[in-house]
Amino acid sequence: MNRATIISVKDVTKIYREKHSRIESVALDHVTLNIEEGEFVALAGPSGSGKTTLLNLIGALDKPTGGQIIIDGTPLSTLNSSQAADFRLRKIGFIFQAYNLIETLTTEENAEYIALLQGMTPKQRKHETFHILKDLGLEAYLRRRPSQLSGGQQQRVATARAILVRPKIILADEPTANLDSKTGSALIDLMYAMSQNLNITFVFATHDKMVMDKAKTLIHLHDGRIVV
Amino acid sequence: MTTFTKIAWRNIKRNTWRSSITISAVSIGLAALIFLKSFVDGADMQMVENYTNLLIGHIQIHKSGFQKNNEIENSITNSYVITSVLKNIGGISSLAPRIKDYTLISSSEGSSGILLLGISPEAEQKLSDLHKRLRKGKFLKSGLDSEIIIGTTLAENLKVDLGDKVVLMSQGSDGSMAAAAYNVYGIVESGAEEIDKNLALITLKAAQELLVMGNKISEIVVKADKINSIDALSMEIKNNLDTNRFEVLTWKEVSPMTYQWLQFDQVFTDLILFIVLIVVASGILNTVLMGVMERIREFGIMLALGTKPQQISGMVTIESFLLGLIGTFFGTCIGTGLVFFFSIRGIDLSIISSALNNFYIGSIIYPRLDVISIAFYSSVVLLVSIFISVIPAKKASRLSPIEAIRHI
Ligand SMILES: Nc1ncnc2c1ncn2[C@@H]1O[C@H](COP(=O)(O)OP(=O)(O)O)[C@@H](O)[C@H]1O
Ligand SMILES: [Mg+2]
Repeated sequence: MNRATIISVKDVTKIYREKHSRIESVALDHVTLNIEEGEFVALAGPSGSGKTTLLNLIGALDKPTGGQIIIDGTPLSTLNSSQAADFRLRKIGFIFQAYNLIETLTTEENAEYIALLQGMTPKQRKHETFHILKDLGLEAYLRRRPSQLSGGQQQRVATARAILVRPKIILADEPTANLDSKTGSALIDLMYAMSQNLNITFVFATHDKMVMDKAKTLIHLHDGRIVV
Repeated sequence: MTTFTKIAWRNIKRNTWRSSITISAVSIGLAALIFLKSFVDGADMQMVENYTNLLIGHIQIHKSGFQKNNEIENSITNSYVITSVLKNIGGISSLAPRIKDYTLISSSEGSSGILLLGISPEAEQKLSDLHKRLRKGKFLKSGLDSEIIIGTTLAENLKVDLGDKVVLMSQGSDGSMAAAAYNVYGIVESGAEEIDKNLALITLKAAQELLVMGNKISEIVVKADKINSIDALSMEIKNNLDTNRFEVLTWKEVSPMTYQWLQFDQVFTDLILFIVLIVVASGILNTVLMGVMERIREFGIMLALGTKPQQISGMVTIESFLLGLIGTFFGTCIGTGLVFFFSIRGIDLSIISSALNNFYIGSIIYPRLDVISIAFYSSVVLLVSIFISVIPAKKASRLSPIEAIRHI
């Protein structure tokens, strides 16, 4: 099967400059990679290797110092900040390490948040939300607030929220880092199943060996470079 | 309810304690403001009413130039021109003709310069309260042309009592020397010094004879149905009279000093308003800003997911507005309730009333419920709660999502 490239990172460098000082840190050093549609990719590497930086660049949350990133045909350098926000809303799902959810909203309301921003009709939204939460084993927790959920449950709500609107790409930054390894593996299995069913490209960062093993494609980062 | 209103509202509920303190501050501030304003308005109104009713009346109509130059040469020859116009104007409660002259009064024991009023006793009783302030004796009646009413301090100074003789001396309109004797028929005690010390009343006819004025009068004094329609009534009279021949003056123009004094306490109310607004603004600012600082990571996540910065700042503004709205609601209810209660019951200030008497305020003050000023103050407080949110709203919307998410 000949699949299309959906994420193209060409010769990307990211240098952070501390404010009011000349100290520079090179977070990404001439990184080039391609990810195809529907891939389930792990970005592996120790802490400080540049995983978060790379995910932020792919997700149009930040701009590279050099190089080019094209996501689903859109060169990100052409987007202004409001277009970037819209791009994220339509194309990218995000799952962060922890505390992903809006504290004052219930499970159900958090799960439908992006669908709401996108303007999905209430009827469809309710329907989809219920089904996805059921698939993720959360139907008993619809009315709970994030603080009343376990870490694993919270990450599943964040996953539901991202998946609900069927984005092209979901980026997850160490989604299992705050979970015990059993819960973490179960979450990754769930994410894999979802991505396969819905043909969503999934890229997640991790430094957990057990989680890396579940990835179909593994990209190793070290000191801002890809190592083979 | 949109999601953002929902989040804003729940955030207010999440910090129950902090929100309650803010809402209480807004409510108490606004209630105090409404009450103070109504109290001052009520006192002002009473003061205007007592002051104008006592002697000066609401509107005075003179021959042009009389206000500047109180000479009897400046008197009205053809008063029927004025009365026939006034007959066709609504909103007038009563009117009375007067002669006004500065004369010398003397007894065997002393003399004093005073304001002499020639009045029509029946008309005067409908217009002014002088007849209610008699300490001794009786009020004048038509035909009692050799009787006089004087102030209590004046009586003491002249060492005269009821039935005693006093002599008035002035210059007649023909330039002749005018002098006549009168019997003291009543003694007025009003509490206002300029009346008790400096006023004497005789009948209009007696004054016309004394001053050789024929049928002329100095002024026609008008009392309006309502205190707050005086200005409009004065305008209408002006529009119907030849203003080259006559001057139409409201009590504010007749007695600008008293009017200015009334304006002064308005400045005081404005100052309190300003202080209350600062309290309200800083209370809301503090609560909303703290709420924003606590949720920096949450805002970062929302921005990362594609929420627009304007949606974030809108949400913060809604939060501020809701705090303001709840505070304004309670403040308006409490303030209006207090005003309503005391406008019926009155606030007894008799402990300090002797001081107030000089300002024509009675010892019981009735706050005045004025819907327009309540609406005004409530809206100002509400607007401040919206405007003050600009600061936290800007802060929230300018967050960089990456940095906000790194923020724990
Ligand atoms: N906002 C920033 N300012 C300065 N340096 C940063 C910033 N973010 C990341 N870095 C640096 O860039 C490097 C890569 O960081 P990061 O992408 O967070 O790695 P990882 O996610 O793999 O732990 C690190 O050396 C980190 O200190
Ligand atoms: Mg990281």
